[in-house]
Amino acid sequence: MSGFFRVGLAAAFLFRADPAFAHLPIEGVGGFYGGLLHPILVPAHTLSVVALGLFIGRQRERRIPSSIFAVALIAGLIAIARAVEAPVGNVMLANTALLGGLVAMAWAPPQPLGWLLAAVAGATLALDSPPQAITIAEANLMLAGTALGACLAVAIVSAITSYLTTAWQQIAVRVLGSWIAASAILVFAMSWR
Amino acid sequence: MVRSQYLPTGLLVVLASVSAAPAFAHTGDGLSGGFIGGFGHPFFGLDHVAAMVAVGLWGAFLGPPAIWLLPIVFPLVMASGGVLGILGVPLPGVEIGIAASAIVLGLMVALAVRPPLAIAAVLVGAFAIFHGYSHGAELPPGADAVAFSVGFVVATGLLHLAGISFGLLARWPAGRIAVRAAGGAIALAGVVFLSAAV
Repeated sequence: MSGFFRVGLAAAFLFRADPAFAHLPIEGVGGFYGGLLHPILVPAHTLSVVALGLFIGRQRERRIPSSIFAVALIAGLIAIARAVEAPVGNVMLANTALLGGLVAMAWAPPQPLGWLLAAVAGATLALDSPPQAITIAEANLMLAGTALGACLAVAIVSAITSYLTTAWQQIAVRVLGSWIAASAILVFAMSWR
Repeated sequence: MVRSQYLPTGLLVVLASVSAAPAFAHTGDGLSGGFIGGFGHPFFGLDHVAAMVAVGLWGAFLGPPAIWLLPIVFPLVMASGGVLGILGVPLPGVEIGIAASAIVLGLMVALAVRPPLAIAAVLVGAFAIFHGYSHGAELPPGADAVAFSVGFVVATGLLHLAGISFGLLARWPAGRIAVRAAGGAIALAGVVFLSAAV
């Protein structure tokens, strides 16, 4: 096989395009790692965790809302493991729009409202993550991965945000919050079309 | 048997053909199609591009806090206009409003107008409704809604950023002239858009 042929063959496979899926994070990746990647690669979930991370990162007290998010997430995942179904997509979007708007306005609401938003983010993310697995064991692994992935994502975003203290960095955070709120509002409207 | 010199090439063509993914009519399906479709949407209309850049230019020209307030206000109000467009709520004179945004915002930069921040925000917000409405009405029904919207909003923000980056040249005398000239060019382009719209 000539060198030209090998290079051509490699190029042909490099340019081969795979179709993208709307909800499966990565085709063929299931179980724990599929769940781990789910909150990061499903766009609506990514918006939700980033919005919450930005929101928590701007608060003085970060442990309570983070814990409330984790508890609500795990409670929701337990519920969905018991085949509880709830159409929460729009609730998640509305919550995301609210969180993004609060970040954009740089307004810290009363603490109980922040806790409520964190709880809604956790519960809706869990209830919108039905495991796409064949066996119960794999489904449970996927749910465990989702719990870890979502908590890690929120923790990382909030930690990074808490370190962004210069004026320009805080403006960037507000702009990001504005973009997230605008995206969530548009998607929310599209669901009513 | 004589081995053909064309065999490797033929084999390459066959393998590449077999491995090709099917093409779909709605490119908006899926994460990549939705995001790329949404990201490209604001760039398809020169009137949108001119107005978005003008918002950034004006923000940079006005300095803090307008430099960051206008790009924060614009996406939020634009989303409200997008909701009207998506829901099909009638809004008259959308194209005229978009063309007017390029003229007015371009003139603000060209003439170095410095109104109070609240007036600047209201003006930019009012035009944002027209731009949002236009985008909302044109959103393809088959697109991945979240990815499309994120791409669309990010592209809008990057156009603002491009305007802000260029507008920061106004710190220097020569740059100030260049920024004001860019504002004038945007206003002239707006006149062309307006003549096409009426």
